[in-house]
Amino acid sequence: MRKLFSSKTAVILMVSCLVIVGLITGSNWWANKTNTPPLFQRVLNDVTGGVSSVISVPTNAIGTRANSVSNLLSTFEENKKLKSKLNGYAQNQVKLQTLEAENKSLKNQLGLKATLTDYETVSAVTIARSPTTWQSQLVINKGAKSGLKKGMPVMGDSGLIGRISEVNTVNSKVTLVSDNSEDTNRFAITIKGSQGDVNGILTDYDANQKLLIMGQITETQAVNPGDKVVTSGLGGLMPDGILVGKVSKVTTDDYGLSRKIYIQPSSDLSRISSVLVAKTEVGS
Amino acid sequence: MASWRFVRIKIVYPIVLVLLFLIDGNLMSSFGTLLLHPPFHIVPTLTLIWLFYGIQFEVADHVPFYFYVIGIGLLFDIYYTGILGTYTVAFLGAAVVMLKLRPFFDERLMSGLLLLLIGITVYFVVTYLAGSLINISNLSLIPFLVKELLPTAVMNLIIAAIGYYPVWSWYQRLI
Repeated sequence: MRKLFSSKTAVILMVSCLVIVGLITGSNWWANKTNTPPLFQRVLNDVTGGVSSVISVPTNAIGTRANSVSNLLSTFEENKKLKSKLNGYAQNQVKLQTLEAENKSLKNQLGLKATLTDYETVSAVTIARSPTTWQSQLVINKGAKSGLKKGMPVMGDSGLIGRISEVNTVNSKVTLVSDNSEDTNRFAITIKGSQGDVNGILTDYDANQKLLIMGQITETQAVNPGDKVVTSGLGGLMPDGILVGKVSKVTTDDYGLSRKIYIQPSSDLSRISSVLVAKTEVGS
Repeated sequence: MASWRFVRIKIVYPIVLVLLFLIDGNLMSSFGTLLLHPPFHIVPTLTLIWLFYGIQFEVADHVPFYFYVIGIGLLFDIYYTGILGTYTVAFLGAAVVMLKLRPFFDERLMSGLLLLLIGITVYFVVTYLAGSLINISNLSLIPFLVKELLPTAVMNLIIAAIGYYPVWSWYQRLI
């Protein structure tokens, strides 16, 4: 009988398969475990990021122009909506400033240095987005030099979009909430419901509907579509009160025992040109 | 004179390869609204198209082709994903299959595009399997083929068709 492979080829193929599987699972495990990548990887990422930021100038400019044209088409409707919202805005801003001042003085009286709502932001520009099948990662132009650390939350134009997953010297990787890797989208969140807060964690992302999923909720308070969702700060690393989105729909699981809440993210995850990284003052 | 021509392609080919590797990421970021329009997930693969041009127009015989393929795969893994192996194997798998099948295809446009389609399919099937291996895939096979592979293949085949004859004539001058 004619052999498909010689024994030597078969052995080489088997060993190669084992090495590749080991490399993929091993480096995935290592990337989750370690805070900073090895020096060689960091240097390579910094150099590549530097060249990429130069190349991104024309492509970003073209992308922004194309986006502006499509935005222009919906400007009239948007303008009407925004005008109706604008009336309450000035009043809310004054109220916010007054409350901030009051909050600061009360914290001073209590001797509190920093709480979970105190954080400063570092602005960064998106250099690239991974052109890959599964991982939703961005490369941004700020790194350890700007004080970024692994795990810090990242905000888009109007709310949470992900967290820092790898820090190099002058750039970093951001894993988006839409990424399905284990542990990446597990944010502690609170739904500000009409009958009180509902706490939980983000458990999944529905790519078809572009909705975040908060699963395994056993609390019984009513949650209605439109309720605001913010980070809860539970766990200590994440600041409290970063806007995540609003409730889109509420369903029960297959057994009718726990609820599943679908959340519409407040930021558009498909085009993110600049981001803000939140540096919490607690524990830093 | 002839040896200088081979040196020239040895320099130009990898430089363009790295540039296209970076442009892939920039396109994904700048044109996200268009490429990630649900239910589709379209991925630009200019890097793979450049490898295909190298194979189709027989540049691969004049340069250390596998060295470039493994190099760009490793760079892709390190820079875009942080997980080593997946895209190195995907690029290598697609390149090996296209190189082995190249003798059965000729230089006509449609024949070349069919070879690229096979390469793109191998590339995405490898990434699908690797995603399942580390449990990060969020689509089953059929939706993956319809929502990701099909639109991605269509877009990249159009790009490859547009660049086919200009790149061919450029290679003729380089080698």
